[in-house]
Amino acid sequence: MSLRPRILVIDDEPQIHRFLTPALEAAGFEPIRADTAAAGLQEIARRAPDAVILDLGLPDMDGKVALSKARAFYAGPILILSARDREVEKIDALDLGADDYVEKPFGVGELLARLRVALRRGQPGDAAPRVVRAAALEVDLAMHAVRRDGAAVRLSPKEFDLLARLVEGVGKVITHRQLLTAVWGPAHVADTQYLRVFIGQLRQKLEPDPARPRHIVTEPGVGYRFLAD
Amino acid sequence: MTTDSNLTDVRSAATPGRRAWRVEVAGYAASATLVAAANLIGHLGASQLSGANLAMLFLVSVLLSAFWFGVGPALASACAAALSYNFFFLVPRLTFHIERPADLLTFVVFFGVAISTGWLAARVRDQARSAARRASELGALLEASGGLSAAATPDEAARVLAKQAGLAAGRAAIVLLPETDTVRLAAGPEGLVELADTTRAAALQAWRTGADSVDPAGWSLRPLQGLRGRVGVIGLRGASRLSPEQSGLLNALLHQGAVALERANLATAAAEVDALRKADHLRSALLNSISHDFRTPLATVLGASTTLLDYEANLKPAVRRDLLQSIAQAARRLNRYVGDLLDMSRLEGGALSPKRELVDVRAVLASALERLGDRLEGRSIRRDFAAQLSRVSADPVLLEQAVLNVIENAAAYSPEGAAIELAVQEDLGHVLISIEDQGAGIPPEALDRVFDRFRRLEQPSDRGRGLGLGLSIAKGFVEAMGGRIAATSPVAGGKGTRILIALPKPHPTPRELL
Repeated sequence: MSLRPRILVIDDEPQIHRFLTPALEAAGFEPIRADTAAAGLQEIARRAPDAVILDLGLPDMDGKVALSKARAFYAGPILILSARDREVEKIDALDLGADDYVEKPFGVGELLARLRVALRRGQPGDAAPRVVRAAALEVDLAMHAVRRDGAAVRLSPKEFDLLARLVEGVGKVITHRQLLTAVWGPAHVADTQYLRVFIGQLRQKLEPDPARPRHIVTEPGVGYRFLAD
Repeated sequence: MTTDSNLTDVRSAATPGRRAWRVEVAGYAASATLVAAANLIGHLGASQLSGANLAMLFLVSVLLSAFWFGVGPALASACAAALSYNFFFLVPRLTFHIERPADLLTFVVFFGVAISTGWLAARVRDQARSAARRASELGALLEASGGLSAAATPDEAARVLAKQAGLAAGRAAIVLLPETDTVRLAAGPEGLVELADTTRAAALQAWRTGADSVDPAGWSLRPLQGLRGRVGVIGLRGASRLSPEQSGLLNALLHQGAVALERANLATAAAEVDALRKADHLRSALLNSISHDFRTPLATVLGASTTLLDYEANLKPAVRRDLLQSIAQAARRLNRYVGDLLDMSRLEGGALSPKRELVDVRAVLASALERLGDRLEGRSIRRDFAAQLSRVSADPVLLEQAVLNVIENAAAYSPEGAAIELAVQEDLGHVLISIEDQGAGIPPEALDRVFDRFRRLEQPSDRGRGLGLGLSIAKGFVEAMGGRIAATSPVAGGKGTRILIALPKPHPTPRELL
């Protein structure tokens, strides 16, 4: 039994497996290959991979269906491979519980970086840290306190809720819908203008240069991501 | 170059009014002659003829005048006949005096009968004439409307209108159509290429104001009013008046012409919209294809190369080589797609001008197979080529690409390792190339669309097999060389597809030599 993390790649394109398999091996993972959504779901159940890379454009099953079926019995990180012209599908997948996405075509470095972040976050038994430090920022989720260069920053309750949601998923993209539902409630899922306003306020208070944010990063059309470094 | 000042009117210079007056005078003279003839015959036969016979003789002359020359001459000859009957034949002769009461009665009755028969006969004649004229007008209108409704473009309609209006008015006619903010000469008599500046100005004025205008150089210009607005301007040579029949016919013609121009304008606009929509459809199909078919090879190139860059040290030599090979393959695939798109755009742009040379189809097939090379690896290619074969007149490069696309398609849609059959034969007029695979075949309802562009995109299971342009390009190339291409499926046992390409032979083989 190897200690290397097992990564299941579900993609119908043999060419993708052809380079992903050696890349994952070289990066210290144990790749598992599946060519269809059905085979992929079987492998998830049988091999319990540490993370799943799922192509949304599979011929045998709609990507969203495959994802929600997987989520029914699999809690580990799921990374989505998606196409540029399938924006909506990608957002739906994130809303359905995918952890992150990478657009085709992608460099292997980018994919593996996302994979490592997802794996770190998803480590079993490791409760989310209650204090997150990012450069000069310190967010204490338990105490509802935020410090910048050691000095306390005053945030409104809504601002803090929003920041907390982003910080809890550090490194991970959180969709507009997820943020709006968590902070303002399900009745406000379409009110993305709230997000623009509050994210702007958070950046003013927390970012060294609010015009070029380092920590609260926009994923255009999808959502926001909190970066620690 | 000819200008309109060189043109002369083909018709006589006489105006309709003067011409009619001359005809009238001739009619009276001829009627007088007829009455004189009746008198002469009466004299010569006076011994045998009774009063009633003589009256008949004079009535004949009145009737003939009525039939030939109309009401005026008929009434005049009735009077002349009555008077000369009285003068020459009633006692006492050579006077207008009537002695016997019975003769007076005869004279009065004769006069009444002559007047009324002359008048009636002339009316019958006029009605017959106007019926004939109406028929000929109707004929002219029908001919014009046939020509006008067959006109597909505004210029064609303008040509028909100028010709028919010219015939109806008995003079040269021109039609001008609007162009941006001026009018241009669209049709006119043969040889008229350019209008005088004054004519052009008068036409523009008629077009802008919607009122008739006259050009000092001798054209009268009228706007053509369609149902929705002005559609052009018509000009008629000469300022003289038209006869009522001519102007009636002309008005009907102009109305028809204006409507036909309007219809042709609409048809042209509709055709433009249609072309735009087709171009738009092609563009979106193209974008679709690029996003679907270019993405995987691009992902391969980027993924494999970044793997090599990031982990070169950790990869075994065999894996490194495999990654490099996958990059090369993906690049070749992309190159093929780009080639397909270029071929397609050549066909679309109409920039294709096939060379013509005498080509041995067997050699072209052999060279296509060679170019396909390892893409046919593991397949048996069965060749059934006629030993004696006429050459065809074709462009060898286009033909090779066409058959290559068809063979490649056969390989892509049949199971790996299944044979592909190539056959070449000829009939009297054609050399026939048949390319047959053992794939699943094509359902009958899709058979006529296999040559459509991007057809493959309709089936997601076909991903990665190509752009779906191959057969469409093959069809375009074959047809550009004057050949035909068709698909049949299934071929045998409910499976397989056969693509047949027929290329015309420059000289059909005599039957006895085959």
